[in-house]
Amino acid sequence: MTATALPRPRVHPVTFARLVRSEHLKLRTLRSTWWTLALAVAVLPLMAVMRTTSVAAIADEADPAYLVGPVYVTSGVMLAQLVLCGLAVVAVTAEYRTGQVRSTLTAAPTRLPVLGAQLLVVVVTALVTGVVGVLAAWAAAAPLLGEARMTVDLTQPEHLRIMAGVPLYLAAVAAFAYGVGAALRSSAAGIASVLGLVFVVEPAFAYLPSEALQRLGAYLPTAAGSRLLTSDVLGSVVSGSRDTTLGPWAGYGVLLAWAALAVGVAAVLLRRRDV
Amino acid sequence: MIEAQHLTKRYGPRTAVDGMTFTVRPGRVTGFLGPNGAGKSTTMRMVVGLDRPTSGRVTVNGAPYARHRAPLGEVGVLLDAKAVHPGRSARAHLRALAATHGIGDARVDEVVELAGLGAVAHVRAGRFSLGMGQRLGIAAALLGDPATLVLDEPVNGLDPEGVLWVRTLLRALAAEGRTVLLSSHLMSEMALTADHLVVVGRGRVVADAPVADVVARAGTAAVRVRTPEAARLAAALVRDPALRVVSTAADTLEVSGADAPALAAAAAGIGVVLHELAPVQASLEDAYLQLTGGEVEYRAAAPGTPTTPGASR
Repeated sequence: MTATALPRPRVHPVTFARLVRSEHLKLRTLRSTWWTLALAVAVLPLMAVMRTTSVAAIADEADPAYLVGPVYVTSGVMLAQLVLCGLAVVAVTAEYRTGQVRSTLTAAPTRLPVLGAQLLVVVVTALVTGVVGVLAAWAAAAPLLGEARMTVDLTQPEHLRIMAGVPLYLAAVAAFAYGVGAALRSSAAGIASVLGLVFVVEPAFAYLPSEALQRLGAYLPTAAGSRLLTSDVLGSVVSGSRDTTLGPWAGYGVLLAWAALAVGVAAVLLRRRDV
Repeated sequence: MIEAQHLTKRYGPRTAVDGMTFTVRPGRVTGFLGPNGAGKSTTMRMVVGLDRPTSGRVTVNGAPYARHRAPLGEVGVLLDAKAVHPGRSARAHLRALAATHGIGDARVDEVVELAGLGAVAHVRAGRFSLGMGQRLGIAAALLGDPATLVLDEPVNGLDPEGVLWVRTLLRALAAEGRTVLLSSHLMSEMALTADHLVVVGRGRVVADAPVADVVARAGTAAVRVRTPEAARLAAALVRDPALRVVSTAADTLEVSGADAPALAAAAAGIGVVLHELAPVQASLEDAYLQLTGGEVEYRAAAPGTPTTPGASR
């Protein structure tokens, strides 16, 4: 029973495409991935139905200008981002916690392509989850929209921007979370940092005594990025802010810059540190 | 072939590996032997680029590990700690590794069978015993059919059947002309598996020689002498600075530095009657202790005392 009794296996050079295939395989062969993604998808229709139902109860008295369908249909984004940030952080930090990273990096000792492949897999996963989730939300809320005197009309630029913004926003915020996780290498520290930023630090900026500092809050990752999901009249469902310092796409660009910064720091550290 | 040149690794003020130079050649099993903390694992991590050397360099099959375009086809690695996500099945773990090198599922199934994991291929690795984890690690190391294998404590946690399997496998791989480097602190295992030893202590290479030479160097060193006049004989022998005399019992000395005929002649010269005169066969264990005695981090006393107080009085 030796290795040579067998035909020589074919071994090919490591390429980025092969690393992406490997990372995709790694993500989908963990049960926790599927639970997490199911949860991330489920919160979107759930929240959409709840918010649309509550609007339906007061629709007759409401100002029609405030009845922006997509804002209510996408209101689960707040929870979905929480779940996907957790997934993105753990996708990389679990490698360090379990020692898997030593297997991963001996297979790909140039290291940086692994970071890129994991990032790509996480981003595409968040993107697909966002598309499925927002369509499920739309479908679930559709029967209730009429009663709530709302529409979702993709021919209206704002409606299209908010609906398409869901997967785009989730993908970007997942990339940011992945970068933070990859830099910190610890699940607890990574999740605490990302969620602390989104749920504590960013909202706290609104209560700062200085108006200049409050305006600075608009440039923080999710406040900026969620401008993509903000109705100009109604404000944001993610941050609760009505700040319009940044335009929707400028805000999204700021979030992408944050994600690039986090991933960039992670890349520098990955090059330098021992595993 | 693994070539390390002046390999050094410092963690802050602590030097884990201190200027190691050695070559691991193909066609034989090389044992990497040393006490805990001697720098074995750190060296192996540097071989595959997980740790960056502070200075010096190490190449595998002629190039630094990270320069190989298909590293798993060059080197198979099993590191001491588990390197597997516990939530993934053994087969999924191997398939993910295989995917990075375009290695097909057929080869994955081959190494699963080779490592004796067929029955548990779909069980999550978190449920594996230490021994099964080692088998998975060895399966992963063999995945790319590498010319060089680097295995850190591969028999750790294996049952006797597993130990025998690893020994047979490694000897077969070396016989095929592959380079096999395995670390262990189990000297008896090394005596059975390795052809050549690189003995390390405190981050330095203290011996780099065939197993037989390492044993021989220690083995020819001592002769047991039993005589009722042990003290008188010892007093006469210690005048020769080339000899080391140790009193092991009231009537027994162990003398190194001279062979049995020379000692018999010396005893006859001063009229001492000998009751026994026998070379002491050293084991690999003795050789190892002798080599690393001065190199272990926390030792009880200074080595190299030429005589005991009882023999030199």
